[in-house]
Amino acid sequence: MTGFDQLIAGFSVALSLKGLLYCFIGCLWGTIVGVLPGLGPLAGMTLLLPLTFGLDPTIGIIMLTGIFYGAMYGGSTTSILVRIPGEAASVVTCIDGYEMARQGRAGPALMIAAIGSFVGGTFSILGLMFIAPPLAKVMIAIGPSVEVVLILLALGVISVVSAGSRIKTATMLVLGLLLGTIGLDNLTGTARFTFGNANLAGGLSFTALAIGLFGVSEILINLEKTEAIKAIRPKLRELVPRWKDLRDSAPAVGRASIIGFIFGIIPGVSHVVATFVSYAVEKRFSAHPEEFGKGAIAGVAGPETANNAVTGTAMIPLLALGIPSIPATALLLSALTIHGVQPGPLLLTDHPEVFWGLVASMYIGNVMLLILNLPLVGIFVNLLRIPYAWLVPIILIVSIIGVYSVNFSVADIWIMVLSGGAGYLLRKFGYEMAPMLLALVLGDRLEENFRLALTMSGGSYATFADKASIIVLTATVGLLLTVQALAWAFGYRKSFADEAEGA
Amino acid sequence: MSEGSDTAPVAAAPLLPRAVRVRRGGVAMACILLLIGLVFVWQASLLDFGGLGLPGPGFFPLALGAILGATSAVIGLACWRESDEEQTVELGHYDVLVVFVALLAVPTVFEWLGAYLTLGLFGAALLILIARTSLWLAVLAAVIAMAGCWFFFQLLLGLQLPAGLL
Repeated sequence: MTGFDQLIAGFSVALSLKGLLYCFIGCLWGTIVGVLPGLGPLAGMTLLLPLTFGLDPTIGIIMLTGIFYGAMYGGSTTSILVRIPGEAASVVTCIDGYEMARQGRAGPALMIAAIGSFVGGTFSILGLMFIAPPLAKVMIAIGPSVEVVLILLALGVISVVSAGSRIKTATMLVLGLLLGTIGLDNLTGTARFTFGNANLAGGLSFTALAIGLFGVSEILINLEKTEAIKAIRPKLRELVPRWKDLRDSAPAVGRASIIGFIFGIIPGVSHVVATFVSYAVEKRFSAHPEEFGKGAIAGVAGPETANNAVTGTAMIPLLALGIPSIPATALLLSALTIHGVQPGPLLLTDHPEVFWGLVASMYIGNVMLLILNLPLVGIFVNLLRIPYAWLVPIILIVSIIGVYSVNFSVADIWIMVLSGGAGYLLRKFGYEMAPMLLALVLGDRLEENFRLALTMSGGSYATFADKASIIVLTATVGLLLTVQALAWAFGYRKSFADEAEGA
Repeated sequence: MSEGSDTAPVAAAPLLPRAVRVRRGGVAMACILLLIGLVFVWQASLLDFGGLGLPGPGFFPLALGAILGATSAVIGLACWRESDEEQTVELGHYDVLVVFVALLAVPTVFEWLGAYLTLGLFGAALLILIARTSLWLAVLAAVIAMAGCWFFFQLLLGLQLPAGLL
């Protein structure tokens, strides 16, 4: 079958009644978790993970991915109307989006954010469709040594592009890798750090750790904030942007689609970094940079487009290489594995229906979100009227049931609670959680391939410097340097710190 | 300033939340990470190390534990030398402590009391203690929430949660 035939087959899955229903559930739930502060895509996906257990893997992944990009859409609503980012990647949208809302232009800001999200999202799906299959073909030919080089590069890149302290990020990476060694050794079956506890033999539950480190710690941090939420409510007829708004945003949407696309492949905090770089680029290119921070529409269009462009592109390393670049795709990897589907180069040959069904559903989901977000914006904003103290027990109860239901183990609830407490303390002292989680997912494969490569080469470390490894290394370093140069040229680090403080 | 204000009794600082100096807290955090690294090194040393060319199950964790120890030590030293004396982090917020203690109670009694009773009590306690609702409203909300959970998870998804005392 050609790629086009497979895409048609993918559409037949995505357009089936079940495909449409679960795609809609994912997009709707994603928008809700994106709107609600303290619930990001990761928590949203984990909460509905048990729902996928009885489903066909393709349908399950369609729903989980819908939550992922739905949350990116939803995050902009609260940024613009309340000045509270629904999730981290929407922080920069607060700056000009909220200013526009204060000036009575919340409608156009929401509309442009939705259009930009749609364009960026669609652009990245095209990239996913055209890049992932040939990349997977190349990856099939490589051995464990190149995989080690790739994973090491991915981890190295996370510490380089991270917005926080590099040494702290590196420490979190190492801690994640260490936690990944708990359980039975894959190659010899030796129990490591289990202390005789059978619950630890299979390793620490990724879902429990993810919910603890991200969800629970976020809730604990949000509980410290006491300010009441005041939302600006736009009327439906105010949503239509002016011709000037569209004209001013179009170049920003185009540039941000490319920025988001490039940053999506880079592991780490790609969503957040892409939005800040896009904002800085728009400010630099603007004929009126002084308007930025005072309600410039390009300051909304750029970051929102980049944010959603990253979402589709982030699926490329996951589906083609089996390497997640952000925590949300790490959870998708975990979900696919639960369903017996191994993401990576063989996904396209072993389970083409999963890949093409997902690609097709992302096109449909983007249209659904565009339709869903604009007329229903008033309903989503009303969600913010629920006091946070009422939301906390609901979120935690569903999280506990979600975590328990993965392995039916109370030990997983313990892991969730304790990692939540640890995550809260670590975040208070400036440690980031994303690197730890990504390292935890990749650690197993890193060690296995490292030892396998050495065994195959008779103990020679030269195997990590063979021709294929060098090509991968050079290509990735080249890409990394380009991205870093772009980021530094537009001063993302400075803008990141300044704007995050201001937002 | 008037004389009266000079002699007025100074209001005692609230016990919680406590302001912890970033320097002290940062060093403590680095020490905990260092300790974790050392525990992993110690435990990994009990496993088969293999050789440099043919690593055993102890090789990776030993190396990683050592790296974690080293980076934590660097962070601790940097915190001690560079942190602003006056910079603080607030720890021990009342609502945070309440939620965390309630969370710790959940796995302790989850199987014994049963999922629905445990989570119902957990929800009601949080509503009373952090949302400051009345007892009857909290109980009513908890009962409705548990009925919803039972319907969604047990009936729709077929998830069997521990019944416990029920």
